[in-house]
Amino acid sequence: MNVLRWWSGLLVAFALLLLLRITLPLPFNNEIVIFAIYVIGCNFLLGRVGFISFGQPAYLAVGAYGTAFYLYYFGTNPFVGILVGVIAGIVVAAIVGPLFVRLRSDYFALVNLALAVIIFFMMQKMLATYTFGDNGLELLTKMDSTPIIDITRPEGFYVLAFVSAFGVWALYKYLDDSVFGACCLAAKVNEDKLRFLGYSNFGVRLMAFIVANTTTAFAGTLYAIHQGLVSPEMSSPARVADPVVVTILGGVGTLYGPLVGSVAFVGMKDLISKYIGHWELVVGVLLIFVMLAGERGIWGSLEPLLRRWVLRQREAEKPAVADAGVKAR
Amino acid sequence: MIDPHLLLSGVIFGLSMGSVFFLMTLGLSLCFGLMRVISMDQLLYYAVGAYLTYTVSMAIGNVWLGILVGVLVSALVGFVIERLVFQRTYSREITFSMIISFGLLIGGIGIIKAVWGLVPRPVPVPIEAQWNILGTEVPVYRIVVVLIAVLVYAGIWAFLNKTIIGKAIRAGIEDVGHTEGLGINVSRLFTLTFILAGALSGLAGGLHAPLIMVFPDMGLEILAFAFMVVIIGGLGSIKGTFISAFLVGQVVSIGSLVYAPLAQMAPFAIMLLILLIKPTGLYGSAMLKR
Amino acid sequence: MSKPILVVNGLNASYGESKVLFDVSIDVLDKQVVGCVGRNGAGKSTLLKSIAGFLHPRSGTIVSDGVDLVGQPAYTIANLGIKYIPQDKKVFSDLTVRENLELGSYASGDYDWDPVLTFFPKLKVLMDRKAGYLSGGERQMLMIGRAILGRPKLLLVDEPTEGLAPSIVTHLKDVFRELRRSAALVIVEQNLPMICGIADKIYALNEGRLMAEITERDKITPEYCEPYL
Repeated sequence: MNVLRWWSGLLVAFALLLLLRITLPLPFNNEIVIFAIYVIGCNFLLGRVGFISFGQPAYLAVGAYGTAFYLYYFGTNPFVGILVGVIAGIVVAAIVGPLFVRLRSDYFALVNLALAVIIFFMMQKMLATYTFGDNGLELLTKMDSTPIIDITRPEGFYVLAFVSAFGVWALYKYLDDSVFGACCLAAKVNEDKLRFLGYSNFGVRLMAFIVANTTTAFAGTLYAIHQGLVSPEMSSPARVADPVVVTILGGVGTLYGPLVGSVAFVGMKDLISKYIGHWELVVGVLLIFVMLAGERGIWGSLEPLLRRWVLRQREAEKPAVADAGVKAR
Repeated sequence: MIDPHLLLSGVIFGLSMGSVFFLMTLGLSLCFGLMRVISMDQLLYYAVGAYLTYTVSMAIGNVWLGILVGVLVSALVGFVIERLVFQRTYSREITFSMIISFGLLIGGIGIIKAVWGLVPRPVPVPIEAQWNILGTEVPVYRIVVVLIAVLVYAGIWAFLNKTIIGKAIRAGIEDVGHTEGLGINVSRLFTLTFILAGALSGLAGGLHAPLIMVFPDMGLEILAFAFMVVIIGGLGSIKGTFISAFLVGQVVSIGSLVYAPLAQMAPFAIMLLILLIKPTGLYGSAMLKR
Repeated sequence: MSKPILVVNGLNASYGESKVLFDVSIDVLDKQVVGCVGRNGAGKSTLLKSIAGFLHPRSGTIVSDGVDLVGQPAYTIANLGIKYIPQDKKVFSDLTVRENLELGSYASGDYDWDPVLTFFPKLKVLMDRKAGYLSGGERQMLMIGRAILGRPKLLLVDEPTEGLAPSIVTHLKDVFRELRRSAALVIVEQNLPMICGIADKIYALNEGRLMAEITERDKITPEYCEPYL
């Protein structure tokens, strides 16, 4: 019963996501799922550890370029490509992590932002011999199609992305419930108390940093496979806002916020750039509005209502169950 | 070995870059010091200053007047935004105002795109003369930019040390609560500082405009450098900002002479190194007090 | 009988979720010295901060001369002549003693430093020293000095003698006696002999609640107040 309850939220969420697959075009769905994976790391860092990272595109690019380099220069198997990208993400996070997590939250934000821009310059100019600068690495023809489900095709890719997202969400739900999740929250609220309980503040933050940014790198590898093209554009200064915007829009520190936020963000981006243009203006205004209106975001506002509703349903069920028990005796 | 003529013009180029960085980050540093907000929207006022310099110099033909208008309008925009938006953020944690200021930056870039379009615009150099220093031709305008930055530094120093408002700002940087407890209207002090910051960022944009093309994302382009400067110097420290701005300017300029990609990578490496030794930058205070 | 200069009624205050003050009511008469005693964490400092406007109470009223202070910014309250001298003995360490006093003058519009320098002649020789280099006692003098510019009607003093040498404590005691000619004082203090020597009334707080109001002159003694600490 408890096991089922633990999974129930996840199952409902992903069933709804499948419903979206039926009603909306495939590229849109792929975009949403990747974007949601991209954002959950940022959401975790901000909501659970209290670190705002304007530098998520850095780790996205690391994952994407890890995959792209492998597929362009070394091999043809997209699954190995994904693995290489994720490992690259872990390595980079483990290298910069110990330095970054010591910083105050304001410095953390700025340093990450600088990292994203530096990686952008690096891929655009410094390593241009290998990355072909703004033209990017063309991967579409370099990948072997995979047996059973061909992930190099959009239909097959959706299956991969969907299953991955489900796995990622189960992991983060598990993390939220675990001692580690509690430690993260404690690190956010009161550092001294955490130290008091015998946990290393630094260790907890470093773990959280590596987990979150590896997830982001994973999203980057998915982008690489999905688009078949990796260019520096993904970590350009103009794009650094996206994950933060979606995090805020969906609801900071909520499990399903990134999903809801991604659907809203990708949907709006599609609509607005088609009919209005000036996409940045809308994003900026939205960001300020959500923050000043209580900073809970879409899911953050809906969740309490939904929770109350579910509780009421359970309350209504309980007496009936109890009655049945009495009768059976 | 680098050609000495090239080196000299590289140093001058670095000094003018450093001047722009300094004017750009001074506002950021003041806002952080006094209000404990990271005002990313300063990068918007930098772009606004540059665009107004472009528009006015096109319409009237005088770049200096354009820069002046840019400074005034940036200050005005800063005033309005402080009153409408930032006044609501001071009592909140720092990430809150950071996100809002980022929203302002992004939204403002959208407005710039709507008003001026996406095409990069050139601004004429107001002083075209070249000086011959030790056999090297040096653009006078770049030297004027450096002089203006040094004058601003001296002016800000005098303002903070010799005027009572400046002393109140220094007191506030140390402890807002105690300043308020004396009966000083800190709310007005905050607004004033924000206006000053906006004007300085606008000045940075206006002075920089003739040296580059003016384009909507120019604030985002300089953003990484601005933040590297404030992090190296230490958030909230004016002296640290001054030193670090010219350091980064030289590193960018000389670095690009040695090996072009160094221009971007070297300041970043320096920043990481300094953070490794001192996580709050060269002159940053260790505590985040409020 | 002089009129009350401050009336606090049913004050409830909290830091975030944790409640610190429960239904505290006090009143202070003009030119009266009121002592406030209690253990650490009893809510004494919170009471002063709430009156001074640094903490907005959840409920209750704070009225001075017919003006409701609740919700007013701290600088407005300071400009009404209610000055708060915090416990932390923090002066603006980057500014000189002179600049510290100049700020007090700027805020209050009172540029007459004679009273301050009569109380604390030592400040005269320290005038151009950075306040960060002052000793604890000198800092306390400077804090009181810059607060009494503008001739406030009520001083809220938080543990003024904590960590200071006995000779300075005696000096401060004389200063407070002198100050009460022109102002009322609320002094939070752990040093019972000192506070009982000057107070007209003692409030004892414990765990955020008012335990006792001691007004009888013969009861304002360290021996009688001891149990409340």
